[in-house]
Amino acid sequence: MTIHLLLGLVLILFVFAAVRALAPSRALLAGTVLGIGALALLAVNYQALLSPEFWAGLIGFVAILSALMVVIHPNPMVSILFLIVNLFCIALFYLILRAEFLAVLQIIIYAGAIMVLFVFVVMLLNLKAEEGLRLGGGPQRWGALLLAVVFVLLMFHALHDRSDQPYVEPGAFESGFGSARALGGLLFSRYLVAFEAASLLLIAGMVGAVVVAKRKVG
Amino acid sequence: MDPDIARVLVESAVKIALFFFILLTVVAYMTLVERRVSAWIQDRQGPNRVGPLGLLQPLADGIKFLFKEEVTPPHVYRPVYLLAPMLIFVPALVTFSVIPIGPALELFGQRVRLQIADVDNGVLVILAFASMGVYGIALAGWSSSNKYSLMGALRSSAQLISYELAMGLSIVGVLMAAGSLRLNDIVQHQIEHGWNLIWQLPGFLIFLTAAFAETNRLPFDLPEAETELVAGYHTEYSGMRFSMFYMAEYANMVTASALAVTLYCGGYHVPGLHLLRLPEPAAALVQVLAFGLKVGFFLFLYVWVRWTLPRFRYDQLMNLGWKVLLPVAVLHILWVSFLVLMNWT
Amino acid sequence: MRVEFFLLIGALLFTIGCAGVLIRRNAIVILMCIELMLNAVNLTFVAFALENQSMTGHIFVFFVMTVAAAEAAIGLAIVIALFRRRRTTDVEDASLMRW
Repeated sequence: MTIHLLLGLVLILFVFAAVRALAPSRALLAGTVLGIGALALLAVNYQALLSPEFWAGLIGFVAILSALMVVIHPNPMVSILFLIVNLFCIALFYLILRAEFLAVLQIIIYAGAIMVLFVFVVMLLNLKAEEGLRLGGGPQRWGALLLAVVFVLLMFHALHDRSDQPYVEPGAFESGFGSARALGGLLFSRYLVAFEAASLLLIAGMVGAVVVAKRKVG
Repeated sequence: MDPDIARVLVESAVKIALFFFILLTVVAYMTLVERRVSAWIQDRQGPNRVGPLGLLQPLADGIKFLFKEEVTPPHVYRPVYLLAPMLIFVPALVTFSVIPIGPALELFGQRVRLQIADVDNGVLVILAFASMGVYGIALAGWSSSNKYSLMGALRSSAQLISYELAMGLSIVGVLMAAGSLRLNDIVQHQIEHGWNLIWQLPGFLIFLTAAFAETNRLPFDLPEAETELVAGYHTEYSGMRFSMFYMAEYANMVTASALAVTLYCGGYHVPGLHLLRLPEPAAALVQVLAFGLKVGFFLFLYVWVRWTLPRFRYDQLMNLGWKVLLPVAVLHILWVSFLVLMNWT
Repeated sequence: MRVEFFLLIGALLFTIGCAGVLIRRNAIVILMCIELMLNAVNLTFVAFALENQSMTGHIFVFFVMTVAAAEAAIGLAIVIALFRRRRTTDVEDASLMRW
């Protein structure tokens, strides 16, 4: 009996210490509320949690939010982190859209290589957060806002027009769709010239980057 | 709920819990094994007081780390500082989920794979999550606002990126021989045609070297070179957060060893096992144990090398990565293409 | 699952990235916003590839990723060169060639 009591006490202390170690108090409160909310949702309507629409909506929300944070956060390093979150969201979208190979490529190339380069440069230059957000001049700012509004309206219009298009039936196409084998087959047959040209582009990019960034000696 | 979905959910949950438990236990006991083996190599005793043979030492260490005071220096960038240990710990664990530790077997009337996720692009998933490990180190160094941390993090990210290339190229040979990115197919190919270790020895050696560098172990532990950089990127961390860096290092070692076994040493394959005609569950058990034994050998190798070789200098490290391993890896791909062309593998 | 949903997300991400390029002055953030726009376009490509049951869209995405990698490398090299000369990453300060 006592040994159970003791073990229980140790367990409670363990959990408490882990939580204290990982989260400051306000985040802890928010996390607990969110967790209880999620559990309640699960209890009330677990069917919704299994539908792809729910997950796509959630991922889309996170994607938009993280993209906004990339633009408005004054600290470049935090912008980079939010961009990585955004890239992961898009990789998840690729998975939903049956592009498995591209989803993995997205993580390897974008999150694993390109964003590491960004992190590396911010560390190398030791950039700190901007005091207040340095923004472009007045006309540019209002022009950007106007363009954004016009573009979103245009897109809504275009999407509204094609709303009589059919739904996508999952599983209504051949099984090799989006696999590495199918993509490789296309790359090495119909798009071979473009593929080789891309390798030239990468070489040129590599040499160019070294030449531009290298310190002048003597 | 649809019984099919429910079954998949329950099966995955059980597997994840089991793998998580096994991995964390192995990680905890690796700390003890490392200290005992290093003591044995140096003709000392090592920790032998807590429990029989010191077997409770990891538990004591864990409790100590949990109850230590967490010191957060005032000059750190707090959100990223708190995030970094998790960013380094999570990829180290997630990578293990695509590695098959045994063959599929009948269990409770279901066909169960001893693997959390049987992914089509398994090898690429591993490379993807391995490349995520850089962020934890880079962000830990950057957010600490400490020149030693920053230096360690810069060194480490450059090292990880450099050796990722050699690692990826050495794996290409395995993919070409098996003709698939799925880890189960690679293991199956080795069962049918002999272990990759035999035909692809150069690739295996490159992979092993790169794996040592990727896990920041000696002789490549420059990021934390304590004699020059205090402790590198985790100088400013204490308590449980500090121990997360250590657990991540050991988890990475376990994953890298499991990967080396799966890609080059036949995975869970035991040569000649089918001759014994064991019943299926017993055969599966033997194969899982064989997998564990092979992983154990590589883990021992990690410790052995650590107490045998001295640390590289930074320029030596870069030269080895870019001027030796990378060209040799490309030549190795040529060699494997030759093998595939002649239908020898 | 409707393809329009992904097109909409792609459009919104593209707009956010575009606005970011126009209003931010930090060269690194501008490069990141360009990546955001490229990704939005990629998402649209993949969505249309699914709708048309054709993998040509995936090929496009593959090449966009290649170009993005080269672009990021060159762009960041230029940022480093700029920082060496001017001690800043603000694009307003790189005005020597401007009329």
